[in-house]
Amino acid sequence: MTAVEPRSDSTVRTSKRTEILEARPVNLDGFVEEWPEKGLVAMESDFDPQPSVRVEDGRIVELDGRTRDQFDFMDTFIADHAIDVDTCEAAMATESVEIARMIVDPRTSRADVVALGRGLTPAKILDVVKLMNVVEIMMGIQKTRSRRTPANQAHSTSAKDNPIQVAADAAEGAVRGFAELETTLGVVRYAPLVAIGLQVGGQVGRGGTLTQCALEEATELDLGMRGITAYAETISIYGTESVFVDGDDTPWSKAFLASAYASRGIKMRFTSGTGSEVQMGNAEGRSMLYLEIRCILMAKGAGVQGLQNGSISCIGVPGAVPGGIRAVAAENLVASWMDLECASGNDQSFSHSPMRRTSRLLPQMLPGTDFVCSGYSAVPNKDNMFAGSNLETDDYDDWNVIQRDMQVDGGLRHVREDVILQVRNKAARAMQALFAELDLPAITDEEVEAATYANSSDDYPDRDVLADLEGARSVMDRGITGIDLVRVLERAGFGDVAENYLKVLRQRVSGDLLQTAAVLDAGFVPRAAINDANDYAGPGTGYRLTGERWEELKKLRHVTSAENPEEEVV
Amino acid sequence: MTTTESVRTLSLTEIGPAERGTRPDEVVIALSPAFGDPFTKTIVDVPHAEVIRQLLAGIEERGGSARVIKVYKTADLAAIAHFGAKLSGSGIAVGVLSRGTTVLHQRDLARLSNLELFPQAPLLDAEVFRMIGANAAQYAQGQSPRPVPTRNDQMARPRWQAKAALLHLKEFDCIDKDRNAVEVEPVITKVD
Amino acid sequence: MSLVIGVDIGNSTTEACIAEVEGSGIDRLASSLTATTGVKGTPANTAGAVTAVRRALEAAGRPSDALATVLLNEATPVISGLAMETITETIITESTMIGHNPDTPGGEGLGVGTTVTLEALGEVEAGAPAVVVVGAGADFDDVAGALNRALERGVDVVAAVMHGDDAVLVVNRLSRRIPVVDEVSAVDRVPLGMLAAVEVAPPGRTIRTLSDSYGLASTFDLDAEQTRQVSPVARALSGNRSAVVVRTPAGDVTDRRIPVGTLTLTGSGRTLDVGVDGGADAIMEAIGRVAPLTDVHGEAGTHVGGMLANVRDTMTDVTGQPASEIRIRDVLAVDTLVPATVRGGLAGEVSKENAVALAAMVRTSRSRMQAVADALSTEIGCETIIGGVEGEVAVRGALTTPGSSVPIAIIDMGGGSTDAALLDRDGAVSAVHVAGAGELVTKLIDSELGLEDREAAESVKRHPLAKVESFFHVRHEDGTVQFFTEPLSPHVFAKVVTVTPDGLAPVPVRGPLEEVRRVRREAKRRVFVVNALRALVQVAPQGSLRLLGSVVLLGGSALDFEIPGMVADALAPFGVVCGIGNVHGTEGPRNAVAAGLVDAYAGTAAGPTPVEEVAS
Repeated sequence: MTAVEPRSDSTVRTSKRTEILEARPVNLDGFVEEWPEKGLVAMESDFDPQPSVRVEDGRIVELDGRTRDQFDFMDTFIADHAIDVDTCEAAMATESVEIARMIVDPRTSRADVVALGRGLTPAKILDVVKLMNVVEIMMGIQKTRSRRTPANQAHSTSAKDNPIQVAADAAEGAVRGFAELETTLGVVRYAPLVAIGLQVGGQVGRGGTLTQCALEEATELDLGMRGITAYAETISIYGTESVFVDGDDTPWSKAFLASAYASRGIKMRFTSGTGSEVQMGNAEGRSMLYLEIRCILMAKGAGVQGLQNGSISCIGVPGAVPGGIRAVAAENLVASWMDLECASGNDQSFSHSPMRRTSRLLPQMLPGTDFVCSGYSAVPNKDNMFAGSNLETDDYDDWNVIQRDMQVDGGLRHVREDVILQVRNKAARAMQALFAELDLPAITDEEVEAATYANSSDDYPDRDVLADLEGARSVMDRGITGIDLVRVLERAGFGDVAENYLKVLRQRVSGDLLQTAAVLDAGFVPRAAINDANDYAGPGTGYRLTGERWEELKKLRHVTSAENPEEEVV
Repeated sequence: MTTTESVRTLSLTEIGPAERGTRPDEVVIALSPAFGDPFTKTIVDVPHAEVIRQLLAGIEERGGSARVIKVYKTADLAAIAHFGAKLSGSGIAVGVLSRGTTVLHQRDLARLSNLELFPQAPLLDAEVFRMIGANAAQYAQGQSPRPVPTRNDQMARPRWQAKAALLHLKEFDCIDKDRNAVEVEPVITKVD
Repeated sequence: MSLVIGVDIGNSTTEACIAEVEGSGIDRLASSLTATTGVKGTPANTAGAVTAVRRALEAAGRPSDALATVLLNEATPVISGLAMETITETIITESTMIGHNPDTPGGEGLGVGTTVTLEALGEVEAGAPAVVVVGAGADFDDVAGALNRALERGVDVVAAVMHGDDAVLVVNRLSRRIPVVDEVSAVDRVPLGMLAAVEVAPPGRTIRTLSDSYGLASTFDLDAEQTRQVSPVARALSGNRSAVVVRTPAGDVTDRRIPVGTLTLTGSGRTLDVGVDGGADAIMEAIGRVAPLTDVHGEAGTHVGGMLANVRDTMTDVTGQPASEIRIRDVLAVDTLVPATVRGGLAGEVSKENAVALAAMVRTSRSRMQAVADALSTEIGCETIIGGVEGEVAVRGALTTPGSSVPIAIIDMGGGSTDAALLDRDGAVSAVHVAGAGELVTKLIDSELGLEDREAAESVKRHPLAKVESFFHVRHEDGTVQFFTEPLSPHVFAKVVTVTPDGLAPVPVRGPLEEVRRVRREAKRRVFVVNALRALVQVAPQGSLRLLGSVVLLGGSALDFEIPGMVADALAPFGVVCGIGNVHGTEGPRNAVAAGLVDAYAGTAAGPTPVEEVAS
């Protein structure tokens, strides 16, 4: 009774070809007919409202066919905080097709389309993107993405919540190029140790890697405030009032939480995605994309610098309806267009078919987004505590080849085995020294050895979970902060790792990571929309994969040498 | 324990309004609006007749007694099960949605809490329903059974997530806000 | 006036006491506690000692440069080990018997007939007594239908054995009530065409015929010799609510001792071999015969032998002393029962097998505290003095407990060993260390309850029990009922729980609270009480507990909710006053050594007296 059972009916005689087709993995995926009345439709629905706006006394009094007395709290929040009252009537008067063409036309600058976008209502935005096919959507993403240089984000988790594994895989992920690393837990009490592992591993792999630990909101905030993590992402928002209320939340409560992070200089973004409302049965008859556009505007209105979207954990829903993956690309476009950092999905198990997994990825990978995956699994999927990603460690080489084939930068690179072993080993040793200094349960040499060569959690000796959980609690009870960890790393002889970590912590004071799409480059310089602004203006402009970086991405595991065809390039 | 060659069909005969029971060991099985009619099987084609038969068998094997009620005013699983628990003489109820999603509830718990939750309907087969019934009976008798092992399948999302949403929407369509819950007699007929 | 810190490096915790000392005046400011790093008495202790010092400074709100002197105890390495050997096993041959206890067998009574599969039931002649064997996958409705049809045809269906958990369901649907045993996982291995008996007792009762040798003899028409042969079957089935016995030509149930090697004990110029499978009493008796013990070796390839070798190796690693010079001076053996799967069983039967748990301890006088002191001086940047041997300082610290007087004995029950020391009227101190303490108790609880979960076992050891009777009330193990206004977590509903400071934690057992409580108390009695007496006898004047006077309990286990009471009860018959230490009237059973070091430094305590080491 699992999802890998073939679904053919054996009583009717079928052709041999049909048998082969029936056995193809894509037929294990689920597909359903649309039901627009209930919102089970991607983006083309007669039940979505018509665009409209009316301003009276500097206040929006009508939004998409509803007057203020008919507003639900999403309408109110968007009308009061997300839409530019001064420009909205003029912007709304522009023909949708004209706006769509401006997005695609390289001669219209990003600044102009972003400015125009500030005055649009959700229904108008939907009306515009409905006119665009998937290639035009990709054109739009290429132009409206905030940061000039694309990047990528990884999941680093462990089925056994083993902090040494998380550290080693974080180190490998960081050296392979991920700008951000994210973890979560099976046993929540393990969080402090695993978050420390992620941070230490990240700083070993490449100084300046940013980390976060997805937990319930209070603990996630606590770890951020202590400087054990560097950013936060899993603050979910929804497109209808009823779903919000079911989660005991409102746009205002989420905005309040966002300000709590900002006040401490911690980078954070919201999370939303198509399909979540209809999956909970509360789509209120609107299409998935219409509701997602409401989320995007809510995020903008709350003042957060970014959004993780692209259906995320509901990807099975848009993935099953016609045009669903086009709608998912469109939501990434809208987030970018609304001038938000966009961590663009590709982060949950999506299909049994490798071909379909790849095609789902291209609308983000080819144009480039701020984070192509908002969670590429840097551990085997069976260790992925976010329930599996569209891409995992087994796909590293495929990804590198696609980057090279298409000459696109997906944020990763091929790294030689000896370098990988070195950073994995160092991450494990740094953890060993740090645990010893902090009176945490010892990490044995055997564990360090295992971490150096491991693939999955099966390859590590089991830890004494009871002792680890006591240790995790003591980290919280003793009030250990990022600065304490820096001090301990320095004392334990990992001065370079301590220095990297300290430089990440300094960002808390400077606040530069609060800029849209901010990441730290190899020199710890924040790269964000403000100093690495996307300047795409047609062929020959914007980010181009050239020079040193292109040379780096030409390298693969096996490339035959031109000079000596009997050898491979190292 | 597996289903046999023959097919069993289910009809739910209404026997009166759903009322509070008095037997201290009884389990209430609370069904969602579309259970049995118009739907006849779960998301993975387990016949509703088999779901009920196995739940009842699990309860009977453990020496318990059961009543079955059907709820019309809501399709929210937690609400259905909690409503059932409040009517149950023991305070224990099993809530079941048409697509198979099941929860074990107790009347003193908060609505959104539960004793055991089986959220992944595609992974529930006849054998699991039998174990859920057996555990419900044991909770009703004040025992502390080992929780039914939960299964997990990362690839259930691409295959079943959308169908689950569709079935959920269909179930919502069967909500009748004006119709009170009724006690039903499950009549299971074997068709050879 | 100078700021000093006394640091006590113990087996599992490092304690520090910070004080201002002026002349002989002491102003104690604060104390701190952290886990000991590495084996006590080795350079690895430095990290823990630094942490303890730093925390004490923080707690007192003093900068580290204000510190004048750190006082360290003369700690010596103690290494303990723990091993368990299962010494009996039950083997069933030819699938003779099914002796497991399904939760819900069906019907009741005794049925004797020939085994036949459900599929072959149609071929059985009318009038023949049949015991029907039902395989996996059969539906209860179908099974009941088939049995009813056979009964209608006149077949004498007397009993059934089933794979699924369907016995009650099937019996409820039969025209005749027969005994049915279910959940037999290897039902396909039940011999067919053989005479078999199935017995099910009413709820709450146990079977009477198949668990009795003469009952079996009558059932199967056995002669005296055959009856003698089947008596192990009867024994194996006693206490069950249901059972199946099949008569096969060579079927047998044996209860066999597993040879698990010997222990070689040396002492009093003698060497004695004792088989571990002889049990704890035999081992302890042999140890008594060679007392005082000078060394113990185990057989290679056994758990016990491996554990003893490991203890020796670890000591070699931490002290650099050659393994040949390291002597194991104490061993504690305890009998226990472990649930084990029966070999040859058809239903995953579990029997409680006998096992011996063994704790061993080795101690050396070769301390490397000077290395710790040097490292500590460098790290903290102040003078470090080593002074005072543990037992002595501790006993003097204990003497600050209000109401205590000389002669005074202390017991410190730790994780790996139990320590005792005595200060007599002449001011002489004698000390002893015996093997076995908290970790052995945890292991006994874990294995006897079949938890296979050290976290749960540790929780059972440390906290009182309760039974969650509803979402709003629990019944504590002492019978009192506690009510809650907010409903309890569903995770603890109807469960036996431990009452921890963090709330209720479920104990993963199916048995009643009383059983868990009995196992816990018995484990503590067999280790802590036995060891307290064993150790005190060794330090007591002329080995007489009556001459002890007062006994003060120190260390972490003195904070346990029941151990002090259990030890005090055991000592009461000897006229000994026994209680929990309260160092300086404020510190409780903690900090005796750390505070004692400061006292000695200030000169308030009596000058050091040579320590007589009794057992090492």
